[in-house]
Amino acid sequence: MDRASHLSTIVDLSPAQWTLSGSAPKERHSLDLQSFLSQLLIFLNSHVACKDQNTLAIFGALPGRSVMLYPSTTQAAGSNSADANTYRPFKVLDSTVIDSLSKQVEALDASETEAPVGLVGALTKALCYINRVAALATENDQTVAVDPRILILSVSPDQSASYIPIMNSIFSAQKLKVTIDVCKVYGPDSVFLQQAAHLTGGSYIHLDRPDALLQYLTMSFLPPPSIRQLLAVPTQDKVDFRAACFCHKRIVDIGFVCSVCLSIFCQPVPVCSTCRTKFPIKTLQRLNAARPTILTSAATPTSGNASTFPSSTTNRVATTNGNGPNPNGVR
Amino acid sequence: MPPRRIDPIGDESDSDVSIFDDFDESGRGKGKGKGKGIDRNKKDKGKGKAKEQPYAWEASYTRSWDTVQEDEAGSLQGAVADLIARGRRRRLLAPAAAIRRTIIRHLILILDLSSAMMDRDMRPTRFDLMLQYAREFVTEWFDQNPLGQIGVVGMRGGLGERVGEMTGNPQDVLKAISERHKLEPSGEPSLQNAIDMARASMSHLPTHSSREILVVFGSLTTCDPGNIHDTLAECVKDRIRVSVVALAAEMKICREFCDKTGGTFGVALNEGHFKDLLFELIPPPAQRAFARASSGAPANPAADLMLMGFPTRLPETSAAGLCACHSQLRSAGFLCPRCGAKVCDVPTDCDICGLMIVSAPHLARSYHHLFPVKPFQPVMSLEGTQNPSVGCHACAAPFKEQTAGAAGAADGVSPLGRYRCAECHNDFCTECDVFVHDVVHCCPGCGK
Repeated sequence: MDRASHLSTIVDLSPAQWTLSGSAPKERHSLDLQSFLSQLLIFLNSHVACKDQNTLAIFGALPGRSVMLYPSTTQAAGSNSADANTYRPFKVLDSTVIDSLSKQVEALDASETEAPVGLVGALTKALCYINRVAALATENDQTVAVDPRILILSVSPDQSASYIPIMNSIFSAQKLKVTIDVCKVYGPDSVFLQQAAHLTGGSYIHLDRPDALLQYLTMSFLPPPSIRQLLAVPTQDKVDFRAACFCHKRIVDIGFVCSVCLSIFCQPVPVCSTCRTKFPIKTLQRLNAARPTILTSAATPTSGNASTFPSSTTNRVATTNGNGPNPNGVR
Repeated sequence: MPPRRIDPIGDESDSDVSIFDDFDESGRGKGKGKGKGIDRNKKDKGKGKAKEQPYAWEASYTRSWDTVQEDEAGSLQGAVADLIARGRRRRLLAPAAAIRRTIIRHLILILDLSSAMMDRDMRPTRFDLMLQYAREFVTEWFDQNPLGQIGVVGMRGGLGERVGEMTGNPQDVLKAISERHKLEPSGEPSLQNAIDMARASMSHLPTHSSREILVVFGSLTTCDPGNIHDTLAECVKDRIRVSVVALAAEMKICREFCDKTGGTFGVALNEGHFKDLLFELIPPPAQRAFARASSGAPANPAADLMLMGFPTRLPETSAAGLCACHSQLRSAGFLCPRCGAKVCDVPTDCDICGLMIVSAPHLARSYHHLFPVKPFQPVMSLEGTQNPSVGCHACAAPFKEQTAGAAGAADGVSPLGRYRCAECHNDFCTECDVFVHDVVHCCPGCGK
């Protein structure tokens, strides 16, 4: 309880998704970027206020890249004049975040606003930062920054292409004993982030009422993981352990796996694209025969655009239906 | 402070030790047991044989105190920092090319439980140290090879003794080697009996998985009922890779086992080196040459396409139901994606439809072996770079301004402490360079 904690926050700043989120009808309790930021800043301030030694880092995932918003690399925060009505650390935090955020957003090119956000970059940067903070702490023989954790505020859907880097980051977080919390502010459930929270012992919360963000944040994400064991923090009811295939980056629940390198394919292939292993023709025939037929017809039209993310529910239904008639096709 | 003469013996026993403990085990000149004897031998008599390579297995062993140079002020700090940086980068420079690796692995760990293990040349005894490292080895091995299985066999009293059954659960393996009093060393070891037992327990395994034997051998003798070369021939035929970590000295039969079956052989020089030798065997091995030769044929028997299902996990709070594997009423479990049956644990084969069920994270744990991060290039000078970044791209730590002396320029160590990704041209600090390649396996700049 008495130990200080470190919090790295990753903010998903996809302009397209935030526009969608803000323009949703009022009765759906929509949340726009402005009120999101003001609620987030209150949460971050309360983290700093909880304990003197608490540390904080904020990373922004922008389209195609990622930046560190706080602590700022360029020293600009000191120039602000002191405000008699504000606690100074709050003031420094707020102005730094808002300054660097507006700088980054202004630098955004209109053409790249549609690009997928650099979530992987932000996540790995957060891990590197925690690694450095932890190394410094052991060097100075202090016990600062124990219980490091990462909070991801996500609005974008999963990018299947970044499956491997995200999983790698999750495993390194496990190794560093970093808890990853996920708050899905807008959009469909994210399979990868669900796995991230599950594997690192964090919580994944999909907001039913995004406009009440601050309440969700303070109730579930403010207490450090060591205290959460004593609290009833919302847990996930279902975790999806599905993977993305290597050939079309599609999310599959039954896949064909190369025995040499464990590459996942959504359809039987004669040669593994990763390790160039040739598979026996007998296996191919056997697997092709056992394959559910509906999957084939569903796969053909989408195979053209590899980057699309198929709706997980329809995909799932198709496979279950397809497998219904011949459950013992293989073996 | 007056310049201090570096005395080889004196130095090895004090200041050097604490530093090299962590970073450069193989370069540590600790003189426990044999090492010490040799050093004296060399110093006193200087005989030709003991001069450069006292024993064959010490050929690659560099004496760190010979390479350390004082700087102008007589301080060793610069040299030591340089050695540490070098030691960190050493592993990163290893070729990242071998992409064909065996990932579904089966390993039998053969532990020497003969009376030779009570020798105290490694602290506290060879036996205790072996058990301690074996535990660490098993934990780390399962971390990197989540689909692998380990069995444990002991060599004691001239017999092979099954200590732990082949299992994919690290807890079971750890439990088998946790009870020290059950493994108390006695008698002579028998290499042949132990290897035969290991071989027999791996005979039923599918061809696409690897079969490996790792022997920790402390004795200098083996007491065998028959011709051990027949066993060797059988191992070669069954494609079992045998690796040996010897604690005493090199034995010809052990070296032959490793050479002929494609394993590795090493003699532990000290405690740290022992651990290094064991842990070098953790990453999945690149597939062997003769397996590739046979893949020239139309059908490669060593490779196959497997159908796998990725299950949905049910939480503790879901409605209870009977599981397909034990017929017990449980609420938590995993749902087979094909038939919807509920199983208790993964990885497993579905009891209803026979589909192999693995969770995607199990597979994903191995991917960094397949898609390694390209090594970062050390930045030698900032000439030709337009407005170089002030801080590390990953952790934002500022780079040092001045160069760290000319000594660091060689050997892939950047004098500026900057390492640049070839893809995204961002600069990273030494700390992050090592962290990215060893732990994260993903470049923060380009996300690959």
